[in-house]
Amino acid sequence: MGFTIAEKILARAAGRPGVRAGDEIRAKPDFVVAYDFPGYTDVIFRQMQDEFGIERVKEPDRFVLFIDHMVPAVTPQEEDLHQNTRDWGAKNGVPVHERKGIGHQVASELGYAVPGAFVVHFDGHISQLGTFGTLAIGVRRHLLEAFVKDSILLKVPQTTRVEIVGTPPPGVMARDVFHHIVRVLGPSACRFQVLELGGETISRFGIDSRQTLTGLAMFTGAITAIINPDELTLAYARPRARKSIEPVASDADAVYAARHTIDVTDLEPIVVVPPSPANTRNLTDYLGTEVQVGYLGSCASGRIEDLRAAAQVLKGREVRPGFQLHVVPTSQDIMRQASEQGILTDLIAAGAFVTSPSCDYCFGRLGVMTAGQRAVSTGTLNVRGRMGSPDSEIYIVNAAAVAAAAIEGRIADPRRYLGG
Amino acid sequence: MALQNLRGRVAFIFTETDFDVDQIVGVKNIKLRDPAELAAASMKEYDAEFAKRVRRGDILVGAANFGYGHPHYPPMIAMRHLGIAGVVAESFSPGYWRGEVAMGFPQATCPGILGLVQRWDEIEVDWDAGLVRNLTRDAHLPIEPLSIADRQMLDAGGIVGYLHARDRFEETPHD
Repeated sequence: MGFTIAEKILARAAGRPGVRAGDEIRAKPDFVVAYDFPGYTDVIFRQMQDEFGIERVKEPDRFVLFIDHMVPAVTPQEEDLHQNTRDWGAKNGVPVHERKGIGHQVASELGYAVPGAFVVHFDGHISQLGTFGTLAIGVRRHLLEAFVKDSILLKVPQTTRVEIVGTPPPGVMARDVFHHIVRVLGPSACRFQVLELGGETISRFGIDSRQTLTGLAMFTGAITAIINPDELTLAYARPRARKSIEPVASDADAVYAARHTIDVTDLEPIVVVPPSPANTRNLTDYLGTEVQVGYLGSCASGRIEDLRAAAQVLKGREVRPGFQLHVVPTSQDIMRQASEQGILTDLIAAGAFVTSPSCDYCFGRLGVMTAGQRAVSTGTLNVRGRMGSPDSEIYIVNAAAVAAAAIEGRIADPRRYLGG
Repeated sequence: MALQNLRGRVAFIFTETDFDVDQIVGVKNIKLRDPAELAAASMKEYDAEFAKRVRRGDILVGAANFGYGHPHYPPMIAMRHLGIAGVVAESFSPGYWRGEVAMGFPQATCPGILGLVQRWDEIEVDWDAGLVRNLTRDAHLPIEPLSIADRQMLDAGGIVGYLHARDRFEETPHD
């Protein structure tokens, strides 16, 4: 029997000829990635030294740090955290990237999404490196192990294979496809497993769409998601790659925990209603719901494809007076491209409030809502209080639907504005 | 130090599938750091008298996919401060599981637990026998075995102890 891509990557990382789901192995991450955040990096840096007497990491090239939360700092304590991160990076020879954008995206831009590589982070949204055939897992505080030891102990996960078929209709985006997967399979279908995505729809999707799908894997219960590399992703990833690794892909006779096929031919735009990412509904069931805030951004959806879709809806139209539309491109590079392509001009002309890349709108540090307010959002999550008051609400929709709601001040069907 | 069997009363049963643990302290309290303050703020929506009724060694019971969402650490910091010794659930969300096991907080996966226990029953989690026993009703169910790494983590009381133990076990530290 053949192997899954996850098994192949972990076999190499464990230095073994082959591993199977369920095996307990010691695997050496090719890259250890983190953003600075209180309780994570500051604690790890301190524990390395105080608990384990480690002054410096041995292989600084395996590590990379991002400063993407609390950017820009609004308190001296936040800037202290960042300064501590910069100092640690300088002392260890570990690169610290700040003000480049959201780390999960910038990691790909900077060549850490190497096809065939094994990557760990504390944050599960690093799963989006799976777009490039990289196995990237968020391990929360287990990340300390990757800073203190070369290898981490883990159980080789099973894989669920999901084939996406059919062409989604206009106005339906990758974001809709992802939440439809959660609707069809349920929020725990892939618990502790790898979600392997494939099929004709994925093959036709661009990189942006694939990043949206893989980056949200955790809401299916999966520990990560991955797509077998193809010409498109190899052409992006290989010239940037910071390590020479032979790309791998699942064998045709790989052993899966489950296989599913999901047809998106008739899919409608969705809305994920508060307070859980498990609550996928058809957008049309919520048309007319009044909203005051729109957030277009995040590691999940703030890329060129998303910005372009929003600009298509908003071009020549206006954000409704009083509506707060926050547009936050996922990275500086994306923002530059959007600027060059005139997308930002269209968004700004329509009345969008466009700001530089930061994670801060997604988790309620900037642009916060007060009690009773509602947002349409492409952020990662819609749990209570995520974007401000516990008595505010978040409706997750695709980028075009955020733009449509910004025009009408209520949940609206983006297809009305995309008709040509 | 090794993982002890849990023995205590079922202090609360969260019957909601995909339960978001942040609700235990409430989102508005999620940034509190002091365990006593967190404990004082917790469980208000579930049982306002919880802090008075709970005893050291008591156990929480959960439904399927317990810990779904973006779990944070403060809710279980609060629960441990009140004496909760561990959680038994039908199944767990992996992010929650990893986070709490790294904190050295025992978690047991027991399919069928909701049908095995009622609130305030006395139960025991026997790790080596692989069972949850309901001592009040003389019934039991198997638990899913812990992975080697998770067992070592819980034996060592969390990630730091586990990494020290790894140093001791590995005679020739090739890492």
